[in-house]
Amino acid sequence: MSETMRHLMPYIVIFNFALVALVLVALAFVTTRRKPSEVPGTVQNIAEYVLEWFVQQARDMRPDGVSVIAPFLASLFLFILFSNLLSVLSFPVINVPPTSYYSGTLTLALIAILGITVISARFNGLAGAVKHLFWPNPLQLIAEVGHTLSLSLRLFGNIGGEFMVALLVAKAAPYGIPLIIHALGLIPAFIQPLVFTLLTTNFLAEAIHTEEKRPRKEKRQEVSPIEQPSSEPVR
Amino acid sequence: MQAILLVFIPTLTIVPVAIAASLAMRKISHAAIEGMTRQPEIAPQLFTAMLVAMALVEALVIYCLVIALMVAAKI
Repeated sequence: MSETMRHLMPYIVIFNFALVALVLVALAFVTTRRKPSEVPGTVQNIAEYVLEWFVQQARDMRPDGVSVIAPFLASLFLFILFSNLLSVLSFPVINVPPTSYYSGTLTLALIAILGITVISARFNGLAGAVKHLFWPNPLQLIAEVGHTLSLSLRLFGNIGGEFMVALLVAKAAPYGIPLIIHALGLIPAFIQPLVFTLLTTNFLAEAIHTEEKRPRKEKRQEVSPIEQPSSEPVR
Repeated sequence: MQAILLVFIPTLTIVPVAIAASLAMRKISHAAIEGMTRQPEIAPQLFTAMLVAMALVEALVIYCLVIALMVAAKI
């Protein structure tokens, strides 16, 4: 990375984030303009599979809040995924993934943690959300900072490390070998958004968890001792 | 001296952690794959659980990578 590029890095990151957001909004408009067909095509199939996964996660967490939780998780996932995938493009400025810069990932993690607090305030009330920060122990607030740091550092380390390795290899061996590095870099580019969203899901489930006195869905079947299969050894 | 430090301190920060994390990941993936082969019907849930566990282990390596990068930039 040249010196001028390093100075321009924040602007490149902002530009690429904006680009990804524009691409996603455009994609959303294009794909939802047509009515979904009864027999789904390839694109619709993939989209429905991804959406269904998030809806399932949200339903497991809070059945009455699917319309709030699922879009939050899915937009985080898609945004990070598309940001990571910028690195496979071959244009000079656009191919810097914004997630390879620490300010970018810190922004994403802050958005995730703030979103968790907002959603928890929506379900449990503002008092409940604030109470979660200090209850059951007052160190919960520090844990929130830890969550932010771990989310952002994990994303930054994976994507930024891969980006750095690709740059160094491209300097040492400009032909052929960078292709392999980029192909290997596709694995974290797909795994990391998933991990980010899964951890956000876990933190969110922890935050909006309330001690409900709901009756259990299925009663455990009582097996009388007489009907139990005998486990006596055959003599 | 500076050059030697520049090479060795970040390396010695990251290498033991990488070894330890790879051992931990071996155990995680071993258990997860064994569970998947024994009960293929819960394989998706096991896979997501494995990913989260791997991410938690990986975070420690990433912290050390960040520390190593900071040290390398300071010296």
